[in-house]
Amino acid sequence: MGMQTTTETTPPSQRPRRGGLRRWLRDLRPASDRLVAGGSLSGLLLRRLRDGVIVLLLVVTVIFFLAHVVGNPALVFAPVDATDEHIAELHRQFGLDRPVAERYWEYLVGLAQLDFGESTWQQRPAIDAVKEALPSTIYLTVVGLGAAAVLGVVPGIVAGARARKPFDKTSNLLSVAALSVPNFWLGLLLILVLGVQLGWLPTSGRFETASIVMPALTLGIVHGGRIFQLVRSATFEEMSKPYVTVARSKGLTEWNILRRHVVRNTGVTTATIVGWEYVRMWGGAVFAIEYVFAWPGVGLLTIDAAHRQDFFVLQAAVIIAGAFVIFSNLLIDMGYQFIDRRIAAS
Amino acid sequence: MSALPLLEVDDLRVTFNTASGPVHAVDGVSFTMEPGASLGVVGESGSGKSVTARALLRLFAITDDVRVAGSVHFDGVDLLRVDERRLRHVRGGQIGMIFQDPLTSLNPLMAVGEQIAESLRLHRGMGRAEAASEAVELLARVGIADPEKRATELPSSFSGGMRQRVMISLAIACRPRLLIADEPTTALDVTVQAEILLLLDELRRSEGMALMLITHDFGVVAATCEDVQVMYAGKLVEKASMAHLFDRANHPYTEGLLRLVPRFEDAHTGRLHPIPGQPPITGGGGSSCAFAPRCDHAFDRCRAEVPPEVAVGPEHLSACWLAAERARDTIEAGRPWKRDR
Repeated sequence: MGMQTTTETTPPSQRPRRGGLRRWLRDLRPASDRLVAGGSLSGLLLRRLRDGVIVLLLVVTVIFFLAHVVGNPALVFAPVDATDEHIAELHRQFGLDRPVAERYWEYLVGLAQLDFGESTWQQRPAIDAVKEALPSTIYLTVVGLGAAAVLGVVPGIVAGARARKPFDKTSNLLSVAALSVPNFWLGLLLILVLGVQLGWLPTSGRFETASIVMPALTLGIVHGGRIFQLVRSATFEEMSKPYVTVARSKGLTEWNILRRHVVRNTGVTTATIVGWEYVRMWGGAVFAIEYVFAWPGVGLLTIDAAHRQDFFVLQAAVIIAGAFVIFSNLLIDMGYQFIDRRIAAS
Repeated sequence: MSALPLLEVDDLRVTFNTASGPVHAVDGVSFTMEPGASLGVVGESGSGKSVTARALLRLFAITDDVRVAGSVHFDGVDLLRVDERRLRHVRGGQIGMIFQDPLTSLNPLMAVGEQIAESLRLHRGMGRAEAASEAVELLARVGIADPEKRATELPSSFSGGMRQRVMISLAIACRPRLLIADEPTTALDVTVQAEILLLLDELRRSEGMALMLITHDFGVVAATCEDVQVMYAGKLVEKASMAHLFDRANHPYTEGLLRLVPRFEDAHTGRLHPIPGQPPITGGGGSSCAFAPRCDHAFDRCRAEVPPEVAVGPEHLSACWLAAERARDTIEAGRPWKRDR
């Protein structure tokens, strides 16, 4: 079920065949469109899962060909004075002498058995390197998201409730600044001030507890700025709804109106905003930040692997991060749908 | 008059500063209400009637750039000058308010009983349990069946009319001395409209509270109010008792509004009688009669000076040069309060 229970308005003759290209394209509309389209929750989950697998397959394909067509690990691996025979030997060793299509097919077959290939530099399965780096990235992103939520949510609510007052104007300006500054530049600035000049915090690696502070703070500021903006506008919009005027006419204080009425209504939106921001973090900033702070996570691993043209590690890292983004997205969407429908149903 | 009036509004002026210049939404409005009175305020959209109601409790959005002048004495206290704390005490506690759209006036994520109990706990110092059971009583009072169960439900499970009943029970929860109803039936079906009006009227009599009913519909006022005042472009153009106004409307604008009520006699012609033109979007503040551009009877003086409020009958005021000049003529002729038309 599910697949066919969607609300179809087109007559059957015009309906695209099941599984046809038009249907795929229609289903790849932005999520917001589909929220309105309705259908059962399990049907939606199935469709989203299928879409997720398709996107992941695209990620696998793109990263494979990018690496294998553009790069050549033998040239990086070989000594500077290597002879042509030496390089040809390396090609054979890495299996690079065979056609790309053949290697791609082999890789897909391996992936299906959860075999991500061997690292050329580390002499171990590529997935092991990713597994080793993954906890560091999760740790960093979770702490970073916590910082972003602290910096974004409460100030966002207050600014939205006191729109166009001094606090709103000041915090809005700060958040725009936080949004506009390149994340790596902000990281470097923090290193310079807190690490080098003041000497308060370690500047790189993950050797002590305090190592997390600066990279997490950088993530927190950059993503907190966005969270602030979105929470602020959600709160502002909510504050101009008639029921808030009614609450005011009941004699409630502004604080109680915010606490008892407005936050209750913006809660789901806020949770979704924070969830999305976590996904965005994986999609971008964490790579740059890990590099700037030499944080031993998936981002740093990816960049290292790209430098060394360690194809299978690079592919494994990108695929795992991609899968993480895709399925977190799905989880947030489904969570939002679930809560939203429960609210609509009650 | 023996005692103080309950509400005494004097020269109320509300000006919004907008991007396209100031809008004089309320332009020098004065009126009084006795305890237990029922007053209808009638006018088109944009005439300033809702803004007047909101100004009484200073209920403006935080983003409104608004200037309020004049005075609003409620029970002897000027609500425009009182501090926030005491104003909150009046809001909900002394003056209850019902709004136009029952679909958006309730918090969609809070059980209706809880929304009523909130007021009770705030103004009547009730505990959680006491407030909850009183909320159920109030729901029963406004005619909601199975109130115990309904009190725990969210507004989304109520129809528009039922939600307006909830709104009413919320507004009267703390036995206010004045209930302001801002277009309480506009968003409702005609049959539901009648029920709500009946309920308001019945509550006013039984609770002894004063009712200020804001509407664009003369039918609504006729059913509920003893007195009526007509607003146009931020000004009161005519004040009278309901019966008096229907029989002897004086102001050309009131006449136009009354002609707008479709009549059974006109059914065969199928003709309606709209007032030509639009009300000014910047409200009042001009130096002429604001209605003059749309008035069939306008003469030079209407376009040159703001008309004064003149008595055209017992407790019947009209702000119209026609009335003013006619009154002068009749006084000169020694026949006060009589109109010969």
